[in-house]
Formats: sequence, C-alpha cells, structure tokens
Amino acid sequence: MRVPVPIPGIKIGASRGQRCHPAKEKDMLKIDLPKERLPDWKEAMLKKMAEVLDKYRSVRLFLDICVKCGACADKCQFFLGTGDPKNMPVARADLLRKVYKRYFTLGGKIWGRANEAEELNETVLQEWYTYFYQCSECRRCSVFCPYGIDTAEITMAAREIMAAAGVATKYVTEVVAKVYDAGNNLGIWPPAWKDNCAFLEEDLKDTEGLDIKFPVDTVGAEVLLVPPSADNFVNTNTMIGYAKMFHAAGISWTTSTYCNEGGNFGLFLNYANLKKVNNRILEAARQLKVRKIYWGE
Amino acid sequence: MSMKLLFFYLPYFSLGIFFLGILYRFWRWAKTPVPLRIVVPPAPRSRLGVFWRLVGDILFFPNLFKGDKLLWAGGFSLHVFLWLVILRHLRYFLYPVPGWVAAIQTLGLYAGYLIPLPLIFLLARRLVIDRVLYISILGDYFALVLLLAVAGSGVLMKVFFRTYIVDVKALVLGLVHFQPFIPDAHWLFSLHFLLVMALLIYFPLGKLMHSGGLILSPTRNQRANFARRFVNPWDFPVSYNALNLSSPEKYAQALAASDDGEKS
Repeated sequence: MRVPVPIPGIKIGASRGQRCHPAKEKDMLKIDLPKERLPDWKEAMLKKMAEVLDKYRSVRLFLDICVKCGACADKCQFFLGTGDPKNMPVARADLLRKVYKRYFTLGGKIWGRANEAEELNETVLQEWYTYFYQCSECRRCSVFCPYGIDTAEITMAAREIMAAAGVATKYVTEVVAKVYDAGNNLGIWPPAWKDNCAFLEEDLKDTEGLDIKFPVDTVGAEVLLVPPSADNFVNTNTMIGYAKMFHAAGISWTTSTYCNEGGNFGLFLNYANLKKVNNRILEAARQLKVRKIYWGE
Repeated sequence: MSMKLLFFYLPYFSLGIFFLGILYRFWRWAKTPVPLRIVVPPAPRSRLGVFWRLVGDILFFPNLFKGDKLLWAGGFSLHVFLWLVILRHLRYFLYPVPGWVAAIQTLGLYAGYLIPLPLIFLLARRLVIDRVLYISILGDYFALVLLLAVAGSGVLMKVFFRTYIVDVKALVLGLVHFQPFIPDAHWLFSLHFLLVMALLIYFPLGKLMHSGGLILSPTRNQRANFARRFVNPWDFPVSYNALNLSSPEKYAQALAASDDGEKS
C-alpha cells in the first residue's frame, strides 16, 4: 500500500541548527587532509572547485542544465522531514551553483545579481557545512529529474572541496581513520576479530551442536567474505548465517583482518579516501589469494 | 539603416551566437571526463538500449511523469507545441515548401494558439507553489516571459495584425542567400523578429541548454554493464601515510608471521 507523505510547507532555516561535530586533528592527519581549516581556506576551496569541475562532467553539467522545475523538491527525505527549503535537492545544489556561477561562468562574473551568483564567504561555507551534511547521497532525486541530475554528485563535490580546505565532520573522518588502523569502521582490532570468530564457533557448538568454522586470514580460500563489521560484533546472527551458508554449500571461505568492512565512508568524504578504503578489499583478496570476493553492506 | 541592422546583420549575429554557443557548451561538457559509473537504474545494458532511453527521455520526459503529473502535462505540451510551431515556420525558409511542412500548417497554427497556456501555467506555478517560488531566479522567469512574448506577438500577428507574408518569405530567403531584403513590416512583426533573435542569443547562454545537456548526462547515457572494467582517466595510486597503523606491507608481515606460527 502506498502511504503518501504529506509535503510540508517551506520553513526557512528549520534545520539550520542541526550540524555535525567538526573533525578532529588526529583523524584528519590520518586521512591525508589538513588538520584544521586552512588560513587561506577560500583560495584552497576555489582551487579544488576548479579541479573538480574539470574532473567530473557530472558536476559541471548538473550545475549548468538544471531548469529549476522543482520536480525533485518534494522527493528528498530531508526536506520532507524538516521542511527546510535548503534541503530541497535543487536548493542544495544551488548552494554550490551560486559559487560556481560567481567564479566560473561569464554571466555570473558580469552580472552576478541576476544570475544569483554569490561570493564564497564565511556564511556560504557555514551553509555548505550544514546542508551538504544533511544529504545522505541516496540519489532519490535523480530518479525524478528529467535530466537525471544526481544531487549526490553535487554533495560529494562540495564535501571534496570542503575537505581540501580542512573542513569535514568528526563522524565521517573518525570512521575512515579507523579503517586505516583497524581495517573496519567499528575499530575492531585483528586480535578482537579473531577472538569474536572463535567465540562464535564455540557458541554455535554449545547452542546448536554444530561444528562450523569461522576462518580468518586463511590464505588460499576460495572466497573472501567482506561483511559489515557490525556482523561480527552486534548482528552476530548474520555472521552465523554466512558461516552456515558457506558450510552447507561446501565453499572454503575466509574473512580478513585487513579488510573486514563492506561499508565505505570515503564516499561521504572525498575521492582519495573512497578509493583507498575500497582498495583494501582488493589488497586483502590479492594477499589471501582468493578467487572470489563476496561483499555486502 | 536601423532596419538593415535588425533584418540583416542581427540575424547572422544571433545565429552565430546560437550555433557557436551550443558547440562551445557541448565541447566544454564533452571534454570533461566521467570518472565513475553513476548510471541511474533501471538502466539499459547495451548502447542501443542507451540510445532508446535517451530518445524516450527527450520525447516523453518519463522521470517527470513519475514525479509530478501536472508539471509533466505543462512541460510536455509546451515542448510539443514548440516543435510544431518551429516546424510550421519552416515554410518561410524553404522554397519550394515540402509537402509535409504544408501538411502540418493547421496543426502548427493551433499549437501556436495554445502555446501561451502551458507557459502561463508554468509561470503561475513558479509564483504559487512555495517550493518553486523559493528556487526560482530571474533567469527562470526571463525564459518563460521571453517565450510568452514571442508566442504572444506571433498570435497577435496571425489574428489581428496580419503581415504581408510574401515580404516575410522574401526577407528570410534573402537572409539564406545573403541578399538583404528589408520588408516594410508592421512594428509587431519587427518586435516578433527581434524577440526571436534575443531567444537565439539567450539559448546557449542560459538554462535552455538543458535540451542538449541531457544527451551528455552521465546518469542517463551510461550503460549498466557492471561486469566490465570502468577506467577512470585521471585515476591516481593509493598512498599510505606513516600514521596509518594498518598497511599492505604490515598485513603481509602479519600473514607471514601467523603462517610460521602454524608450522612450528
């Protein structure tokens, strides 16, 4: 049954105050970002923005061709939930678009007012930090846009630009930094992972009388399983499910203490970290000499 | 002299801006790489599928239909009417007039009468719905008002202030053959002509380029062939810094150590 969600009237500034905690120095250094906001943040952001515009056709094209029809406006969960107009995908993209127009388009440079172009200043940066972190990059808006404009691309571009100037959130940077230390988002260290697996083996034997292994770092297994790390820690029934499935199918498998995380928080930060986190899956697979990767999140 | 400016030099200038502008915009988008596969599902697997998807997008706006039926009705009818009107005007450009252009004259005429309706609807929508009012900028109103003015002057000319059509044809064919012909036209025709020239100039500068951008939109023109390797043209290697406690080398060492442990 379809339950229609009522479309709220716009409430300007309704979610202005819902802001993420800023990133910490120790995490930023681990993920190759400036430890704090750079003194020349504005120049750094504009430099990164020029780079992003030349590297991603999606960003440049989406900023150029939006006709502001408003088809996406009532499709965003964050707008439906808060009523803050800046959470409409089109308005969220406008936060980036107005700066793009000011510095990178002829019309915006010549006649800024008519083109809604805007200087990059402290107020704009604060808006970016607030509203670009109120997007979950779910891409629902792109399904309804007649040109397929994907606001997730815009959000990712804006976060990449902010990150280059040392502006990011604690949650995201902390999780990514943890992956480079422990191999997963939750920060489960290799000994703890092995111990949890041994515990699950014993538990399965005690409760169900089944003798099923939870292999860890087994070189030469057929399958590398990359689960969400929470499966080894909180949702252990899921982990037990994997083991039973592999056991029943007769497939040799292993998890890796180098990469035991299917979720990639680099997606919420920048390209370099997105790639680095993903690369761990391939690296683990190479070193364990597996033939297949099963990867879920 | 001013009439020669309007009816002879301006058309070439606006057509130049129109075509060169469109080429520039396409070139700018096309030369920007697409680093990741970001196709929006449900997506076709083959190039032919992509072709048909884009044809469907251009002709019928299925995404808009999914999202907002009323807006779709307004947008769709506007575009259909626009095409009919443009095709109808081909009779001024072509001599002799092809049979199919002659055949759609009546249809194009009615499309011309009706075209203000979706334009007024879209304009009213911008003013009435609070969400759309919030996002609308000057450019959005400008495009609608300009089209409305072009359509309005066209309709007025057809209904009340009839133009001497032979002069119009002589003007346009004069332009085609680089031989100036300055018609002794009603001011309404001059206005209509001027507005169309303005539209041609504005087209590549503003949001009207959405028409071409769709073809290059990576979410619409990519294939869902995930089994194939997708190469990012500007990719760079992964680097680990000294603060990262886990790295490929350390993992290799750990694996070797546990291997030795099992053997002993």
